[in-house]
Amino acid sequence: MEFEFLIDGNKEKIEVEAGKGLFKVVGPEGALELDVRRISDNCLSLLHGGRSREVYHARDKERLLLWVDGEQFEVREPSEDSGGRRADDAAREGQWRIASPMPGKVIKIVVAEGEKVRKNQTLAVVEAMKMENELKSPGDGTVKKVHAAAGDLVDTNNPILEIEAG
Amino acid sequence: MAEGKLFDKILIANRGEIAVRVIRACRELGIRSVGVYSEADRAALHCRMADEAVPVGPAPSLESYLNMDRIIEAAKRTGCRAIHPGYGFLAENADFCRRCEKEDIVFIGPNSAALELVGDKVRARRAMEKAGVPIIPGMKSVAADDEECAAQARKIGYPVMVKASAGGGGKGMRIVSGEDELRPALEAGRREAKSAFGDDSVYLEKYIEEPRHVEFQVLADDSGDTVHLFERECSIQRRHQKIVEESPSPALDPELRMKMGETARKVMMAAKYNNAGTVEFLLDRNKRFYFLEVNARLQVEHPVTEMVTGVDLVQQQIGMASGRKLSLRQEELGQRGHAIECRIYAEDPTNNFLPSPGRILYLKEPSGPGVRHDCGIYSGWDVPIHYDPILAKLIVWAEDREAACRRMLSALGDYVLLGIRTPIPFLRDVVRHPVFREGKATTGFIKEHMEGWAAEAKDGEKRRLALAAAAYLALDRKPASRPTAGAREAYSPWKALGRWRQGE
Repeated sequence: MEFEFLIDGNKEKIEVEAGKGLFKVVGPEGALELDVRRISDNCLSLLHGGRSREVYHARDKERLLLWVDGEQFEVREPSEDSGGRRADDAAREGQWRIASPMPGKVIKIVVAEGEKVRKNQTLAVVEAMKMENELKSPGDGTVKKVHAAAGDLVDTNNPILEIEAG
Repeated sequence: MAEGKLFDKILIANRGEIAVRVIRACRELGIRSVGVYSEADRAALHCRMADEAVPVGPAPSLESYLNMDRIIEAAKRTGCRAIHPGYGFLAENADFCRRCEKEDIVFIGPNSAALELVGDKVRARRAMEKAGVPIIPGMKSVAADDEECAAQARKIGYPVMVKASAGGGGKGMRIVSGEDELRPALEAGRREAKSAFGDDSVYLEKYIEEPRHVEFQVLADDSGDTVHLFERECSIQRRHQKIVEESPSPALDPELRMKMGETARKVMMAAKYNNAGTVEFLLDRNKRFYFLEVNARLQVEHPVTEMVTGVDLVQQQIGMASGRKLSLRQEELGQRGHAIECRIYAEDPTNNFLPSPGRILYLKEPSGPGVRHDCGIYSGWDVPIHYDPILAKLIVWAEDREAACRRMLSALGDYVLLGIRTPIPFLRDVVRHPVFREGKATTGFIKEHMEGWAAEAKDGEKRRLALAAAAYLALDRKPASRPTAGAREAYSPWKALGRWRQGE
């Protein structure tokens, strides 16, 4: 059986055979036979070739988070249209989508729709955990759309403004 | 602790790990604890652990944890005779301290006069200089001309620093290592200050080379009996925020330690300070030390002192606040072994250490001999965006410093926190760093050695195991949660956790 995942943003395939007892991973790096035990809702114990590994895992709506012996991995559903993270902040056809770099609260929106802005001009201020973060314009342009208002709670990558280059 | 009745009930005017720490001390002393919580903290650990919990207002701290009226009212309504302020919030607020005194509620901390004195940096420095405590040598006023500057610089001793009076952010600052460099540095400093602040006045201060931040814990009872509990080294700082602390300091020898400890006692006695407090010093590379300020509260990093001295500082605070005499004698106090603390913040080390609030999907606390975890969080809790990002503190104790470093690395490697970002991988690299390992880190350590830090490339084998585990979990899901065949949803890779095609 073949699975396809996005692991830390990279598309990856893995082929497994779930046999009696042992869980077999096949692939170009050679086969890997794993003795897997479900320890709890959040823990798997893996034995491979006598080597013991702990895997802790938890999920939310879009991610499966895995911890393998001190290292963390983020696994996501491979979306149809992309092989990795969307380039949200990059200019798309002369347009910038300005998103919050962290979950937090919009303290103020400094510009209004239709306003001309210059590169590095502060557009909005987002605050979380007593730390303020200024969102700056990536280039010269015009504010095309303002999606958020002061007082709004935003999550990482929530769009706050759109800037049209020029 | 000497005899004298303790309080029946204490209100803890704080949240998070420090509130939990104080609640534990209360339990052990047979004192009932009253927690307070904002609307964002109803499910917070401190609220769950306290014997009683009182709402004190909306999420923003100004309307809740900093709202003196509500806190005082909560204490009265629940019959608390004393308030423990923790650190931050109202802990060093002289107005609040006076309010408590007026309302006949014991503020577990220093008296308001001492709090006021040490809270005013300028007044405190003047008072300490008068008491014979070394402070960073510098000019008391703006330089009139270059001649006066040169005379002052000779008096202070090179290297000196030219600083802008209106200053901040390094603007107008110049380091001068000898008299021949002074005049051009003054000119450049004035020019820079003028363009940055519109004011070209500058002054001179001794430049402290390769400074370390070394602080001394002090306890003083109401009768003025004062002891110090040795030092904590807190040189590992990022953006002026301590992140790793330890005791003893690798920079002190017994003689210097005794001298600094005695100076710390002198500072607190000069300020007529009572209860627990900390005297901060800068230590230069020639092992000269200078008084910086007094932290008039229980500090975040207090556990490292507790681990090496065997003294419970919170219980001492409560005992002294209830009027008990200090039973600790200076000559009986000592340091045993070595303790290190790492602060676990909700921040993303891979994204410029920006805050990372959100849901904790899973938490497994490290444990083992000599491992202590002072924790304010749990699996399933949503870390609110409104407060300081400190989640927990990991403290280890071992027989010596190297053993403590190894124990810290092992404990950090055993710490599972999924859902939000923490600096655990960064902290591991700090403790692993040869400069830290040799005990040679100064306050410039993070800037000099960790700037532009990126996590090491992940282990390929672990990555493969992670993928295997993801596949196993997808197959192992209970039939009830399996998607039904035929529907578009059936192929939703997420439902089954991974897109799979049978028979390929």
